Amino acid sequence: MRDSLQTLSRSLLGPVGAIVAVMACGFLLVLAVSDEPVLAYRDLLFANFDSRSNFALFVNRMTPLLLIGLGVVFSFRAGVFNVGGEGQLYLGAIAATATALAFPHAPGPVLIGLSLIAGIAAGAAWGWIPGILKVRLAVNEVVTTLMLNFVALLLTEYLVINGMRDTTAYGAVSYVLAEQAWLPDIPGLPGATIGAVIALLLAPLAWVALFRTEWGANLRAAGANIRFAEAVGVRAARQVVIAMLISGGLSGLAGAFYVLGIGHRFEQNFSPGFGLIGMTVALLARVHPIGVVATAAFYALILNGAGYMQIDADVPRSLVNLLAGFLVLFMTARFRRGQAPA
Amino acid sequence: MSEPIVVPLLRLRNVAKSFGDKVALSHVDLDVEAGEVHVICGENGAGKSTLMNILAGILQPDAGEMLLDGKSVRFSDPIEAGRVGIGMVHQHFKLVSSMSVAENLFLNRQPLRFGFISDRRVMRERAQTLIARYRFDLDPDASIAQLSVGQRQRVEILKALAFDARILILDEPTAVLTPPEVSELLGVIADLKARGRTILFITHKLKEVKAASDRVTVLRHGASVSTRPTAGLSESDIAHDMVGRDLATPRRRAGGIGSGAPKLSLSGLTMTNASGRRLLDEINLDIRAGEIVGVAGVDGNGQTELSEAVAGLQNARAGAVAIDGKDATNVSPHERRARGLGFIPEDRLDRGLCAGMTIAENVSTDNYAARKLTSCGLIRMAARDAFASEKIRQFDIRGARPGLPVGQLSGGNMQKVVIAREMEKAPNVLVVAQPTRGLDVGAAEFVHGQILAAADRGCAVLLISSELSEIFALSDRIAVMYRGAVLRVLDRTDATEHLVGLLMNGVDEAA
Amino acid sequence: MSASMQASQFLASVLEQTTPLLLAALAAMITTRANILNVAVEGMMLVAAFTAIAVGEASGSASLALISAIGASAMMSLIFGFVSIVMKADFIVAGLGLNILAAGGTLFVLEQVYQDPGGLRPEVFPDLWRVPSGALSWFPIVGPAFERQSVIVFLALIAVPVCSFVLYRMPIGYALRAVGEDEPAAIAAGVHAARMKLLAVLASGLLAGLAGAQLSMDRLHFFLPDMTSGRGFIGLAATLFGGGLPWATAGAAFLFGAFGALGDRLQTFQAPPQFVLMAPYIAAVLGLILSRVRAAARSRPARIGGRAT
Repeated sequence: MRDSLQTLSRSLLGPVGAIVAVMACGFLLVLAVSDEPVLAYRDLLFANFDSRSNFALFVNRMTPLLLIGLGVVFSFRAGVFNVGGEGQLYLGAIAATATALAFPHAPGPVLIGLSLIAGIAAGAAWGWIPGILKVRLAVNEVVTTLMLNFVALLLTEYLVINGMRDTTAYGAVSYVLAEQAWLPDIPGLPGATIGAVIALLLAPLAWVALFRTEWGANLRAAGANIRFAEAVGVRAARQVVIAMLISGGLSGLAGAFYVLGIGHRFEQNFSPGFGLIGMTVALLARVHPIGVVATAAFYALILNGAGYMQIDADVPRSLVNLLAGFLVLFMTARFRRGQAPA
Repeated sequence: MSEPIVVPLLRLRNVAKSFGDKVALSHVDLDVEAGEVHVICGENGAGKSTLMNILAGILQPDAGEMLLDGKSVRFSDPIEAGRVGIGMVHQHFKLVSSMSVAENLFLNRQPLRFGFISDRRVMRERAQTLIARYRFDLDPDASIAQLSVGQRQRVEILKALAFDARILILDEPTAVLTPPEVSELLGVIADLKARGRTILFITHKLKEVKAASDRVTVLRHGASVSTRPTAGLSESDIAHDMVGRDLATPRRRAGGIGSGAPKLSLSGLTMTNASGRRLLDEINLDIRAGEIVGVAGVDGNGQTELSEAVAGLQNARAGAVAIDGKDATNVSPHERRARGLGFIPEDRLDRGLCAGMTIAENVSTDNYAARKLTSCGLIRMAARDAFASEKIRQFDIRGARPGLPVGQLSGGNMQKVVIAREMEKAPNVLVVAQPTRGLDVGAAEFVHGQILAAADRGCAVLLISSELSEIFALSDRIAVMYRGAVLRVLDRTDATEHLVGLLMNGVDEAA
Repeated sequence: MSASMQASQFLASVLEQTTPLLLAALAAMITTRANILNVAVEGMMLVAAFTAIAVGEASGSASLALISAIGASAMMSLIFGFVSIVMKADFIVAGLGLNILAAGGTLFVLEQVYQDPGGLRPEVFPDLWRVPSGALSWFPIVGPAFERQSVIVFLALIAVPVCSFVLYRMPIGYALRAVGEDEPAAIAAGVHAARMKLLAVLASGLLAGLAGAQLSMDRLHFFLPDMTSGRGFIGLAATLFGGGLPWATAGAAFLFGAFGALGDRLQTFQAPPQFVLMAPYIAAVLGLILSRVRAAARSRPARIGGRAT
């Protein structure tokens, strides 16, 4: 108990310190560009709670970040630097869309179930490629996942335009899904889909899987020291691939939830970089599934808050993107003292 | 008290160095006279390497004083130490393996053309001159990757001499050499001494201390405990200073070797590298229950590959491995372990442990099912902690608790964690590689006891070690490896260090 | 149109497509040789592309725009170096962080200063020095391909032998390679490892600056958010494909650039534009797979694990 409390407080110190430092820098920046810096910052941090509908939007924003963040936790814990969340998200979204459009008359629960499965499967398949390439050929996964992001964006655009395009709408946009395929709202919070609830339930589940099962221990061993894992009989290569399947599957689920719950159709460029933000969510949470809940909420808070800030105080919302970059740099940099010789 | 006042060439007073909480050197005094061969000896972890790194300018002391020719000096980097004539030959060679001998000799101090282009011709000529002056057998254009270990060491020595090192520091120079190479090196040292160089020689091998040195300083737990002329000292005098007590001679066990079928059987086991060179060359070896077969050899002659081939971590190109009479050639490490294989790898932090994970996690890996540490798929945390605590007590793992990351233990205690895990399932075949590397005498004794106990229990043990004394102390038979092949398998009673030493160098007088 | 004209045109389009990739690849190569996997090239390029347009518009001077772009990219590289080398952050994370910072920063300035998040399109923009038309027509096929090419294209081509010379013929190159291959050995020889790494990062910043400037100010004369669209990453892939060797890396960059140019050609045959645009990314992935297949064939059984480069 003492151990876990100590490690908890120690692991919290870094991320919280980084957040506070970056938000302070951000305030100085706002001070320089805005006449109403206090209003701007109030909006950035608290406008999400001004109304039920604002809060619902916040919940919806958090869902993909949380899911992708959890996925990244699995891959990072297995030692795979999966930066392909964005591509896996898009694949999941397009697969869910195609499935839902293919069976317009199926009953709602069946349609939702099938679409979610299709989304998960497509995301997982997209994650499997860099996973198997890393395991079999030691191809660097950072580069492959980055490349596959671009391929996924273009591939989904092609698929939408050639087969699902709603010609009455502007841009690469699919038809609207049949209404019975839409995800229901959270009771009492209109506008917020139950995807958020499922994502929140998945976080403790992920924690149990990683930290309370032998499977998770083996996965983490494979990630921390694959040569050790092999020597003690862990099927390390398989663990790595499974982790990438889970990672891609969760990102795919995020895409499916987005389409079924929020967009109700596939829109090219629906993601404001959820993939990369999801990765920073996981990093800021020190790659811990429970911490991801907090950091995903924080990012959702400021991402949406930035919109309110722009309207009320005329501060560009891209301030948040700027802060996000600083946040990554701040939290990874640390002083190290007195290193022992090798 | 009318002795003439002679200022020693190099004098250290009260030098101390810590890394975080860990005190590496607490109090070191050292006087080195010009022109002598001075041995520093001590156990692993006594602070020898830290001390040498301070002398060579790689580390800076926290406290104390260094005097060179009576003047206080302080080096902020190896260049400064080199400038005043201190050169270092590292235990782990500091050579860039893709570059040539000449390029390594002149790395960071190349002759220039037009002030900015490397003058490779002059560099080559200078390297040639240097090699000729010390009569070394080296090609200046050969890349380091092509050289033998002994040749690499000579490049290291030349690198120091190239810049007129007055004081040459040799860090464990014999650890990687065959017995004949060791005598060659001692010849080089004598030659250098005759040329007026001062040599500081670090070792923990007592025989070399006797053979090579004029004086010896013993370090223990980060402090210098004695400096004495070597003449007239016995090995046990030095050993006593090193450990602070007398050494127990390794115990030979009484238990007999089972007859019956071999527990581990290797036939024609062959492994090749990328370019087709044989790393393992048709190894045939049978080990019966209760038998310990020691594999002697200079590091890099296929021992690592042998251990990995038996453990299932690298695939053989040809030949077969059988465990308990059943073929296991194409069987995964997981399955081999299920059939009763235990593996204590040569590098604890590489294959033996996961440094970032806790002691409980490390010791429980692969033991969850056997010890019922899970229920309904979930780990029973209390049961796992209890299991880890039990092992910590049983194996006397010091400074440990279940939740501590295993990387924070000392080397000996880490090794105990590995052994605790591997012994848990009472393996009937045990592969042990370099089990006491980097361990102090006490921990090494413990590890030896565990290996003997396993054999007494009926386990077949394949013991791989580059320490001949360890091989001789524990083995029933001794297999000598040279360039991937087992040259001979000797009964321990027939084996002498002389014979094994020759075989390790590829000389088989019987053949 | 004659066959030789078509060939010249294709070659010209290969050159244009290759130049930013080549410069990005060399930028990544320099740091790879110092053992730093540099994903920050992307962000450095983006900042350079933006700076080139912003300064060019304000000053009306192409050379000032180019120099400022390189300077801005160098500043970014120093931030990257500070965070990853001095503060010891993981260089992949730091690199991605820098990319986010670059994307956010350029967008913020677009919104705050230019009040247009869609991009920056000056009405008039100074052009770079170019080879005059007809100046090289005496050289069949190749000559015309180089006509009208900007100074940056030539700088990129010269950068290959320069990088090779610095790495293999100058003491600083030896020191850099030593640091990358065996840091303890380099330190023992008195090489200041951190300083060498910073230098490599700075060099990559300069090259990435040129690459970014080429993207925005060579032909287009405008800046769009995220206009680098992964070219920094493709450059990194070219480096890995080329095994960190200057000429092989350049060859890989040309290969990927040729795929891009080929895609442009295919577009005229009504291939879907998405697949055309995909070509360089797919080529990069296939190239990486190919280089690893070769390596794996040489060292069987393949070992997994480790961060292979």
